[in-house]
Order: sequence, then C-alpha cells, then structure tokens
Amino acid sequence: MRTLVTNADVDDTRHEQPDHPERPDRLTAARAGIADLHLGERLVVVPARAATQDELRRVHDPAYLEELGTFCYEGGGDIDQDTYATYDSWSIARHAAGAGLAVIDALSARGDGVGFVAARPPGHHATRDRAMGFCLINNIAVAAATLSARGERVLIVDWDVHHGNGTQSIFWNDPRVMYVSTHQWPLFPGSGGAREVGGPAALGRTLNVPLPPHAAGDALRRAFESLVEPEIEGFQPTWVLVSAGFDAHRDDPMADLELSSGDFAWLASRVARYVRVSGRVALFLEGGYDLVALRRSVAATLAVLTDADVATEAPTHGSVGAEEVRRAHEERQIALRIAEDTHGIEEQ
Amino acid sequence: MITPPTTIAVGFDGSSSATTALRWSLALAAPLHAHVVVVNAAGLLSRLETVHSHQDLEDAVRRVGAEFEGELDFVRFEVDEGDACSVLLRAAHDPINADLVVVGSRGHGVHEGLMLGSTSLQLAERSSIPVVIVPSGRPGRPTEFDRTASSSPS
Repeated sequence: MRTLVTNADVDDTRHEQPDHPERPDRLTAARAGIADLHLGERLVVVPARAATQDELRRVHDPAYLEELGTFCYEGGGDIDQDTYATYDSWSIARHAAGAGLAVIDALSARGDGVGFVAARPPGHHATRDRAMGFCLINNIAVAAATLSARGERVLIVDWDVHHGNGTQSIFWNDPRVMYVSTHQWPLFPGSGGAREVGGPAALGRTLNVPLPPHAAGDALRRAFESLVEPEIEGFQPTWVLVSAGFDAHRDDPMADLELSSGDFAWLASRVARYVRVSGRVALFLEGGYDLVALRRSVAATLAVLTDADVATEAPTHGSVGAEEVRRAHEERQIALRIAEDTHGIEEQ
Repeated sequence: MITPPTTIAVGFDGSSSATTALRWSLALAAPLHAHVVVVNAAGLLSRLETVHSHQDLEDAVRRVGAEFEGELDFVRFEVDEGDACSVLLRAAHDPINADLVVVGSRGHGVHEGLMLGSTSLQLAERSSIPVVIVPSGRPGRPTEFDRTASSSPS
C-alpha cells in the first residue's frame, strides 16, 4: 500500500483569464480526484515553495526569466494567442515549479511512495526562452534538471495529448535525461515527429510516438510495449517523471484521441515499473480541460499507483494507430542511422 | 547573383500588422509572378473557436486581395497547428517550400515591446530563408526600391 506525496495548495486563483480553458477549476478537479482515493494517512501533503532563480536557470535563460517577471509585475497580458500572464503569474509559476521540487525532495527523504504535483500553470511547452501553449515555466524540466545535477538518470514520460516541445528542446542534447512522448499528430505545437531523436551528444534520448486522431488505448499500449519499453530498458533510469496531461481523454475538447481513465491507469502501472528503487516516480499535472474527465483520470491514475479502490473506465480499443506506431519505429531507426553516420563523419 | 522569390510565405493572424505584411507580399509577388502562401498558425485555443475562425481569416485575405487588380490565383491559404514561429520556419520545407517569409512586426494580442512572444525576432534568428519584417506603421505596398532590392545581388 503505497503513500501518495503531493504538494499543498498554492493560491493559483489569480492566474486566470475569463473564458480561458487553463483555469483554476482544473486544480480543484485534480484535487477532487485525489480526495476520491480516500487515502487517509497514506496521503502526505508537503508545503510548496517558490523555485529559486538558480533552480529556474538550470532550464531557462536568465534574460527570459527577467522579462517574464517584469511583464507580470507590470500587470501582465497576452503573451501570444494562447498564453497569458497576470500580475500574480510570476509568483504562481515559481511556486508551481517549486511544488515539483518539494515533492521530489520529500520522496527522496522518504524512500517510498509516489509523487503527484498538482500545480498550474502547466509547463511542458515552455522552452528555455519562450512562454507558449499556456506554459510559463517548465515545471517538470526544473525538477529533472535538479535531479540530473545530483547525478540521477531521469526518464520523462509525457502522455499529454500535445507534444512537449519545451521539454524536448531543453534536454535535446543532454544524455542524462531521456524524453519519451506519445501525442496526437498533427496537432499543436507541430513538433514531435518520430525522426526527432535527440542531439549529437544524446542520440536516441528523445523518443516520439505520434498517434493519429481517434487513436485509442490499444494503439498506446502497442506503442509502449513494442517501441518505448525496449529503449527505456537500455537507459536504466533512476527516476521517472511523468508529464501527466489528461487531455488525451475522449471527452476532452482540445484534441481527438479516444483514451479513457482506464487507459491512463494502464500507463501509470507501466511507468511505475521503469525504476527499481521505490519512491522515485513523480507525476506532474499538465493538460486536461474537461473537468469531469480530469477528476476521473487523476483518480484512476493515482489509484493504480497507491492500490486505492476507485471506479475506473474500461481501457479502450480502436481501429487506428497500429500502422502509425509501426511507421514511427521505422522512421526512428532511419533517423538514428542517419544521425550516427553524420556524427561519425563529423568526428573523423 | 540571387534570384527573386518564387514562393512567398506570409504569416497571417488577422491582425493589422499581419494585414500590412500581406499587402506588402501581394504587391511584391504580382510583378515577380511569385506564389503567395498565406499561413495561419493555429494555436491551442483554435480548437475552442475563441479566436478567429479559419473562414474569417480566409475572408480577410480575400478582402485584402480585392485591393489588387487581376486574378489572385497565385494566392493560397494554409493552416498549420503550432506557434507562429515554428509554423513559419516549417514553411521553408515541403509542402510549401517557400523561399521568402514575410511577417508583420506584431501579431495578435502581443504586448507592445514584449520580446517573449515576438515571432518576428525569433524567426529572423532561426530561419533558413530570408525574412522580411514589415513594420506596422508602414504602407502596405513595396516601393520601387523594395522590388529592385529583392532581385539585386547582395
């Protein structure tokens, strides 16, 4: 019976814009999903803190952080057609990143349990020098870079329906961090092709499995079993962090995948196997915009990790995606061969 | 010797700045017999139809095109999902294969003076093909100097 370690509430209510789908109600729904587990004393809530400038600078350019902070203190506004910030967003985003650090520190100290970082705004689209896709600071990247600086080998699994372009780009050439993403394609942000395999110093450390619209859980299971897991076996991570977006759920308005809460539970059960030491798995909330689906999915995902008993939708099956998974495997092998040949020529 | 562009990709989000860039592109393309691909970057919110619909944008392109004489059969409209910078960087490749990309200096809703969302500056840094940034305050049609410069050796 495992413990769930999560962060205390950060007052995120002042990071809000009328009618915007990335809204405080999302955290309320996620926390309701945690409450549905009825964990009692097996729920450990750790205080959140603001990430320090040094921690943020591991993944973001100082000039970007300065500009984001200044923009917020001047009142905020629209950063691009999707992304906004308010006067309070700088503080809230720093606490969202700090919540992840607090959770991994608590897991490290305990040596057991599973972590869930319930914070917003989400992070996986934020690049080193750019806010985009609702994201200001890349929360999971801040945590991964902190662990990596301690000598850990960090696997990031990103099952949000959108490709985590920010996380991928931050660790593109870093052999200590492996980034794996399954996502709908084509879809925002347009990156995440199977031929994107990592930079010269980290070839193979990026693994993308683009899935077609209306792909269901069976396509995802095939992707993990046939493509993802053999490569993770070779990486041997000491920590697993998950960009746990729940917008691939069939009820979510932002995309067209057909997953159920049961599919997320299956994914969670698999990622928990990728590291042998206990207390080394933490999930970070990313997307998920249908509040009912978000609550159900958070509950189902965390239930399988904590042996809690909640009602879970059945895993799904569909008729598309198998061919795309097979093609992704082929394209990845081609890209790796080309990259290795090119790199070999450069070294000669 | 450089050759005049044959395919011009112009970023368009319906903003006044993008409209200025579109006018500039159409005026440049006509005498050069170049194709113009009007590219809209569909962001996350486009799924919820809280921003300009694609049909609205196509209508806006037609209205700008109506200011020019002759057929606009050299113009087509493309929507690609992603942030504006990434989408316009991809325009240099298949299937658009642009050899010039044109943007306005400011897109929709971006705070004046804010570098965080500056598509034009990021594009200028990263593009593999020439980039023209059309200032918002500038009249839309290229001058004789612009047309001469576009086909002259650098």
